[in-house]
Amino acid sequence: MTNKPWLAHYPSDVPHELPTSEFRHLPDLIRSAASTYGKKTAFTQVMANGMNGSLSFAQVDQYSDHFAVYLRDVLRLQPGDRVAVQMPNCISYTIVAFGIFKAGLVLVNTNPLYTQNEMTHQFSDSGAKALVVIDMFADRLPEVLPKTSIEHVVVVRISQFFPAIVSGVIRGTQKFWSRTLPKIKVPHVLFMDALSQGSKAFHKQKVDSYLDGLNGSTVAALQYTGGTTGVSKGAMLSHDNLVTNTLQLISMCGDYMRPGKEIVITALPLYHIFAFTINLLGFWHLGARNLLVPTPRPPSNLKRVFENYKVTWMTGVNTLFNALLNERWFTDSPPKHLRASAAGGMSLHESVSERWRKLTGTPIVEGYGLTESSPVITFNPLNGTGRDGTIGIPVPSTDVKCVSESGAEVAVGEPGELLAKGPQVMLGYWNRPEETASTVVDGWLKTGDIATVDKDGFFTIVDRKKDMILVSGFNVYPNEVEEQIAALEGVKEVGVIGVPDEKSGEKVKAFVVAADNPPTVDDVIAHCRKSLSAYKVPSSVVFVNELPKSPIGKILRKDLRAMWLSQQSGSASKTVKG
Amino acid sequence: MLNFLLAAPATVSEQDVVTPFEQALLLGLVFVIMFGLGAGLTLKDFLHALKRPKGLIVGFFTQYGLMPLLAFSLASIFLFQLPIEYAAPVAVGALLMGSVPGGTTSNLFTYFAKGNLALSVIMTINTTIWALLMTPLALFFYGGLMFKDSPEWEIPVTNIVVTIAVMLVPVILGMTIRRFSANIGAVLELLGGFFGLFFIGFLMATWVPRNWGLLTSTPWQVYLVAIGLGLFGMAATFGVARSLRINGVDARTIALETGILNGPLAIAIVLLTFGGNPAIGLILIVPAMYSLFIVIISTLVTLRFRKSNLAEEQKIPNLL
Repeated sequence: MTNKPWLAHYPSDVPHELPTSEFRHLPDLIRSAASTYGKKTAFTQVMANGMNGSLSFAQVDQYSDHFAVYLRDVLRLQPGDRVAVQMPNCISYTIVAFGIFKAGLVLVNTNPLYTQNEMTHQFSDSGAKALVVIDMFADRLPEVLPKTSIEHVVVVRISQFFPAIVSGVIRGTQKFWSRTLPKIKVPHVLFMDALSQGSKAFHKQKVDSYLDGLNGSTVAALQYTGGTTGVSKGAMLSHDNLVTNTLQLISMCGDYMRPGKEIVITALPLYHIFAFTINLLGFWHLGARNLLVPTPRPPSNLKRVFENYKVTWMTGVNTLFNALLNERWFTDSPPKHLRASAAGGMSLHESVSERWRKLTGTPIVEGYGLTESSPVITFNPLNGTGRDGTIGIPVPSTDVKCVSESGAEVAVGEPGELLAKGPQVMLGYWNRPEETASTVVDGWLKTGDIATVDKDGFFTIVDRKKDMILVSGFNVYPNEVEEQIAALEGVKEVGVIGVPDEKSGEKVKAFVVAADNPPTVDDVIAHCRKSLSAYKVPSSVVFVNELPKSPIGKILRKDLRAMWLSQQSGSASKTVKG
Repeated sequence: MLNFLLAAPATVSEQDVVTPFEQALLLGLVFVIMFGLGAGLTLKDFLHALKRPKGLIVGFFTQYGLMPLLAFSLASIFLFQLPIEYAAPVAVGALLMGSVPGGTTSNLFTYFAKGNLALSVIMTINTTIWALLMTPLALFFYGGLMFKDSPEWEIPVTNIVVTIAVMLVPVILGMTIRRFSANIGAVLELLGGFFGLFFIGFLMATWVPRNWGLLTSTPWQVYLVAIGLGLFGMAATFGVARSLRINGVDARTIALETGILNGPLAIAIVLLTFGGNPAIGLILIVPAMYSLFIVIISTLVTLRFRKSNLAEEQKIPNLL
């Protein structure tokens, strides 16, 4: 927007424009925190039963140097080569990611739960030369690797950097009790061996030389995303993109993020851009102690973390906050030291944010962004001027506007596609110039999200363009309907989609996961009638056990639709399952 | 206090039933098990339980109301058909078995049965702490009732209180250590659960073959008491819990928890309080046989409960 009305609403300690960064690239940012915070604990990986291992800033810095040497000197990878990384949150992940940056290589984050097909696509599309993978998921490699250009495999264990006995117990349980350690049938090197090889060949000048020729616009990561077309493609995020977005977000939080003092819980997966930039890069830069949780499912996995550490910050998605609010151990003794929470990835329901604030007595605000924007575009101020239901105001050095189909900026309050411009917008999609050209136009990133903006510059997401339901020519935004149903007592989660209808073109269908004392179908419909126009009221409500979700817990409407479609074509008796 | 046993002609000696090596191992195991129990605990867990005490209260009453009564009834009806010199010490063992708290093994079974694990754990803790008061009280009451005409059969209640108090020390130690090192706490917690199973495996591997003669010569009434205590205990508890309108998953959890008693603890109590007593072998029969059969009973019940719990999960998602 030309007049940037949001600048007037920045808290006093937030700069309008980000000062020129002192960091030329990510390795600068990584080393700066390591030298400032040295022996302070950087990462603590916490298992569901409380077992844990930690490394200091200096240790992570040193190990990632060794890993960089291993990649460049031992494996002989060349600058710009891609390295795929496939593991849940663990200490090793941080060393691997930082090592890749320090080696001048490109990180390709990969979901460990991917199917063989998805892995094959991502590895071959990115042209990855090496793969760092967790042992638990390495059983699919014999089928996948031959179809890719991967030449080297490094295998990581989940209990790496834990005390020896604890690590032994964890491996013993994995091997003999839960039987989650498959035999790895491809040639590979163990992570610790890779580190010691790197350590032997380590030389300070050598590591520094990897950064020759590296600058802010060098690609640092290929972050895969479905985007609007559905085919998974790699967003090229540069060192500048990631460094600036880290600083943009931190500057937006002002005094709520105290350097060297925060303890943050990282329950969302680091291979997702939200946790990657905010939790890994942001809180590292801040000198926080980062509590890495391998998986937040079930939510009881977080019980020990909250019991054993004085958590001051939390990031999450609506689903995670909601799940915690449904856990008795959590509501019975909410975290005492919490200062603030940030939600992203999907819209934060007002019913959830209200309950969260009431229970913890601390602010929770919603931000917004895309993989293509590293990810943060907008964020709500934490100082109490944030507005529920909105995604907040653009972060410093960022411009945002809503435009109509014709590309003209729409009036205040009118819905239009949200476009963003700033130093965090990606370089483009890897090897896909046409899609890049249609997504980033004159520096403006087309998000595919429909939003409105108020006179103060607070943006509200109305919905995804493609999720919009057209009922007899009227636009129905699933978010709005979901918000209403979620507010109803006894509703745990809800997903709303449009399904074809002979009369109205499309009709609204709600899938509800019940909590204790669930409402009836009639209750839900009656409730919606009170607050929604008739065409927005679901024509049918179905109770299900689970909703399909993305790795970070975002409810996937496209999977809901697919589920519904297969149900229609399949036998009538087939029940809807997660 | 123990002279009645001296007077009774003992047919089975202590060594026949449990060797000194087994005794030492057993006490060590009980220590680790209790340690593990404590290591899984925080003070918050108690607060949480107190806020929603219905399941806990019901569990308490089935544990210390129903189980001792069941042990008393089974022993009175069946054991005393046998000669009194044999029946009396065996009945003492049965009463003791019925009066001890729940064991950690029940938590493992609850886990497999897809029950309410949090409730199971907190019930184990709750009944274990109350054991200090309730186990001696139950023994005193039912012992007095059973042997009211023969005061020489009195049960050494004071010794039992001391033994249980000693057994609570590792629980408190475990809790303390957990506060200082989550790692050591978690390892101990895990070990405790496994040692419970290990104990039973050990018993099967060594004790059964060596005491084969004893097992084959033991009258059916004793089998009935040892098996019935667990089986009827679970059935009755489930009935009581359901009639109090406790939901299916929780009712099944309470039933498993109540029926699976702390066998190793009972045996340890016998060894520590009746040490040197010639009839100790007979006192040990029911606790030892109970510990063996409860694995089989619990496995069958767990399979059955798992089915129901899974079915229920379809209807009530998110039940803690």
